[in-house]
Amino acid sequence: MFTINCPYCGERDQCEFSNGGEAHVARPKDPDQVSDREWSEYVFVRANPKGIYYERWVHTHGCKKWFNAVRNTSTDEILKVYRLGETPPAIKGFKNTLKSPSGEPEVGSGNFTVKKS
Amino acid sequence: MSENKIYFKFDGKTYGGNKGDTIAAALLRNNVKLVGRSFKYHRPRGIYTCGIEEPNALFQIINEHNEPNVRATVKKIYEGMVVKSQNRWPSLKKDLGSINNLLSPMFSAGFYYKTFMGPKGFWKNVYEPLIRRTAGLGKPPKEFKSKSIHLHHNVDILIVGGGLSGLLAAKKLAGTQYDVLLVERENVLGGVLKNTKKIKSINDQDSSDWIEKTQRLLENSNNIKILKNTMVTTYNFNNHLIALEDKSVGKPQDNNKPELVLHKIRTKHTVLANGHIERFVSFRNNDLPGVMLAASFEKYIHRYGVVPDENPVIFTNNSSTFGLVKSLVDLGHRPKAYVDARDQKKIEKETLNLLIKYNIPLYAKSEIEGCDGKNGIQKVSVRVKKNEIIKIKTSMLCVSGGFNPDIHLFTQSKGLIKWDDSFFTFRPDKPFQSTITLGSVSGNFSYQKTVDEINKKLSFLDGVNDLELKLDINGSEKFQIKELWETKHAKKSLWSKSFIDLQNDVTTKDLKQAVLEGFNRIEHLKRFTTNSMGTDQGKISSVNALGIVSKILKKNISEVGTTIYRPPYTPISFGAIAGRSTYEFYDPERKTPIHPWHIKNNVVFEDVGQWKRPWYFKKHNSETMYEAVQRESKQTRESAGILDGSTLGKIEIKGGDALTFVNLMYTNSFTKMKPMSGRYGLMLGEDGMVKDDGIVCKISDQHFIVTTTTGGAANVLSHMEEYAQTEWPNMKVYMNSITEQFSTFNISGPKSRIIMGRVFTNVDFSNEKFPFMTFKFVDYLDAQVRILRASFTGEVGYEIYVPPKHALKLWERIFYFSKDVELVPYGTETMHLLRAEKGYILVGQDTDGTVTPIDLNLNWMIGKKKKDFIGKRSLTRSDIIRGDRKQLVGLVPINKTYGIEEGQQVIEEEDLSTPIKKPIKMLGHVTSSYFSPTLNQCVAMALVKGGNRKIGSQLFVSTSNLNTIAVEVVTPNFVDPKNERLTS
Repeated sequence: MFTINCPYCGERDQCEFSNGGEAHVARPKDPDQVSDREWSEYVFVRANPKGIYYERWVHTHGCKKWFNAVRNTSTDEILKVYRLGETPPAIKGFKNTLKSPSGEPEVGSGNFTVKKS
Repeated sequence: MSENKIYFKFDGKTYGGNKGDTIAAALLRNNVKLVGRSFKYHRPRGIYTCGIEEPNALFQIINEHNEPNVRATVKKIYEGMVVKSQNRWPSLKKDLGSINNLLSPMFSAGFYYKTFMGPKGFWKNVYEPLIRRTAGLGKPPKEFKSKSIHLHHNVDILIVGGGLSGLLAAKKLAGTQYDVLLVERENVLGGVLKNTKKIKSINDQDSSDWIEKTQRLLENSNNIKILKNTMVTTYNFNNHLIALEDKSVGKPQDNNKPELVLHKIRTKHTVLANGHIERFVSFRNNDLPGVMLAASFEKYIHRYGVVPDENPVIFTNNSSTFGLVKSLVDLGHRPKAYVDARDQKKIEKETLNLLIKYNIPLYAKSEIEGCDGKNGIQKVSVRVKKNEIIKIKTSMLCVSGGFNPDIHLFTQSKGLIKWDDSFFTFRPDKPFQSTITLGSVSGNFSYQKTVDEINKKLSFLDGVNDLELKLDINGSEKFQIKELWETKHAKKSLWSKSFIDLQNDVTTKDLKQAVLEGFNRIEHLKRFTTNSMGTDQGKISSVNALGIVSKILKKNISEVGTTIYRPPYTPISFGAIAGRSTYEFYDPERKTPIHPWHIKNNVVFEDVGQWKRPWYFKKHNSETMYEAVQRESKQTRESAGILDGSTLGKIEIKGGDALTFVNLMYTNSFTKMKPMSGRYGLMLGEDGMVKDDGIVCKISDQHFIVTTTTGGAANVLSHMEEYAQTEWPNMKVYMNSITEQFSTFNISGPKSRIIMGRVFTNVDFSNEKFPFMTFKFVDYLDAQVRILRASFTGEVGYEIYVPPKHALKLWERIFYFSKDVELVPYGTETMHLLRAEKGYILVGQDTDGTVTPIDLNLNWMIGKKKKDFIGKRSLTRSDIIRGDRKQLVGLVPINKTYGIEEGQQVIEEEDLSTPIKKPIKMLGHVTSSYFSPTLNQCVAMALVKGGNRKIGSQLFVSTSNLNTIAVEVVTPNFVDPKNERLTS
């Protein structure tokens, strides 16, 4: 149960917010011009990485405004919160903890209670 | 009989204990050794520990809760308490279940997975009922209204544990800028200081005096809050922790006060000072009553003033048991023998001196092979040399196998642990959050090092001074331990057991068998054997299991790893988690302004979301729902009916781009729609599926009011906000819910026009002056009422939107003017019937998120010339245009005396007699079905594959007893198909 720093209201408990999935997925400007496949990918397909993820949240039990966040999905650490319309922060600005091929971070994930050398 | 004594009942017998005693301490005071029967084998069990880690002494407290599995070592007695032992019949001494012990070779590891496979029918009729009756330890509690509350804390520093380290950390922070919360699970501060006499003095004071003085200092500090009787059970992300406070320690439940408080703590830094737990050793019959952990025995002496046995045998592999020997001899008692697994050279001088001084036989480099006795220890077997065993008569055996820092909370916080070879245990290593460990939980078992550790680890805080402390210790702090997890049985036997998990009756043999069967990963081993899966989570034994397994697998323990420790650390009742959100406080009840009138008129309510909606009205007490609905429906079509539709969502949309926005949100085109008119609108998801429906009313191109379904109101508004904010932020449009700002009445029927004319005398309701799907604003008292000519019953009808303050009066006025007209109030069930008769869909009943407007034959609602709207592009996806999609059709039974039920499957086969030769194709299902009082037969709607092409043909629906009913597929518009009544 983490906290999220709403850009309009300040730091609040996670339970006040609803997650809105991946951020920066633009609706095609001219839906008639895109193929079935492109349209279906817009409607149904979203990225699901383990690690740095750009996503949307809405402050459902508060100001009801939408905003963006960068979260590490394996540690649930919210690295940055930014408003709609602001330039998304560059990914290399974040300490990317993915070390192994399958992306397991050093700490805080799954069955890794004992430190692995 | 002393005045200070507290009397309670255990298994029908009355005992006296002292104030502050736990049930276990009081029973030991009365020499009660047998307290339970084990889970699987029903072996006799005694009190094993003196704390939260107790595996055996679980009792049922008989009161208004009948709480099961209460740990006797935690629960404090009160006058008149009634306590019962569990899992035995007819009594503890003579338990029939002990036959399981004889049959035990069959109940080895994996037993649950390998048995109860057949014959057919036995699981449902024999095994499951039997297992349900015999499984578990206690009986489930009676239903009761929980009296628990939740409290929130936001602090800078949370200190878990009020022992030496916790108190010193709090003292260091007293008077500083930090908001500190100190949480202690016992009813007194002091922790281990109260369990042993290891510390002679603190700052030249007796440790009890020092604790009291420190407590007063902390209580007088403005920035420190202390919670006692509070157990931290859960450590979540973002330094969010849960603690459970017991408000009725040492007294019965007070009906007017909360019994449990769930504390939800958000902190910037967590200081874990929650100590350590002693572990046992596995040997033959290490579960007999009379076996107790050594430090627990010592704790009974110092904390409760109880000596469980005056001459126990002590078995150890480490230095700590010096304290136990000293405690006994100081009271004039003498241990029967001291059995130490270590070499005599390794045993500390002070212990040896004591043993010699008091003539206590020492068996160095020895171990307990096993113990024997009926319902309790009568003798122990000591292996002094490889093949030499001597027997010693005794009734108690104190065991110490070493100490484990209590790392559960630390690992819950996602901190990493590492193996420590000097103590043969796991200790905290790398924290994941701001977590500081102090004292024995961090692996620091030296009292002298405590102050330096605290000063060093808290040095990152501002404005905090170093602590100074003078500690005088009894004896040395040198710690020596020999690795010992289990001892070998002298004889091989099917029935001899050494336990590795006392609560779940898991033996060391089970561990070995599991590895043999291929379960060599610790997570698999745990689940296959159920080791450490009881309510005690194997606190005194789980590291031992790892030790044993590592030897079998020939790996280091750190390679074997541990299983994940999951919250809660100790059991939390569901009542505590629910808090006040139970019964009438579970969910808010939303009522319309007409609610009191409904109740006066014999309504039966239905829950739609949080709303109480009239379901139907009973004309007289014995009227059934079926009769009521038939009556309401018939009367509405014959004269008039009125429905309280206040619960349906209403959204006001305004702005320069309101028209553009509404055109994007709904399938219809509203551009050419005249102001002051309304249109039935469909809202789709981006996937093309019907999401909601409602009426869109245009006041002007910049001002709309739309309605939604009751259950969809919040979703529709969120959907609109999402698009307006994230997709088209430059559009000038804003929207707001006005659901509660207006009460809505739906009045319909051939006589509705007359009634409206009588109520609103200034309005011309003629067809020419008030056409279908137009609305007007009408002055009413000091406000405005909006009247829309629309109905969803297929009869002439009107929707009235009135401010809540006038709603009930207007409703009653309508009935006043209808006395001669037979206006009937109706509810949601009749509303569904009337809609079904017209083939009008109900979103969520006839649709389920997989149905498009084309499937519903509502193509006419799609604006042909609209370039774009939400869901439009999806309507041309290949999956949406394929011909065998399910389409909405009507069904009528060919034999008009039969009824069709919602949910019945639509099929082509008539005969469903078994055995069925090939799979029956399911073409679809019945979504709505009612007996129509107007047509005197059943009418239904169904979603059927390729339904449109099947109109006119015959299909079947299957019934629950494998019969079929022949149906004709028709267009779903049964009553007044030409809609003449509606637009008259």
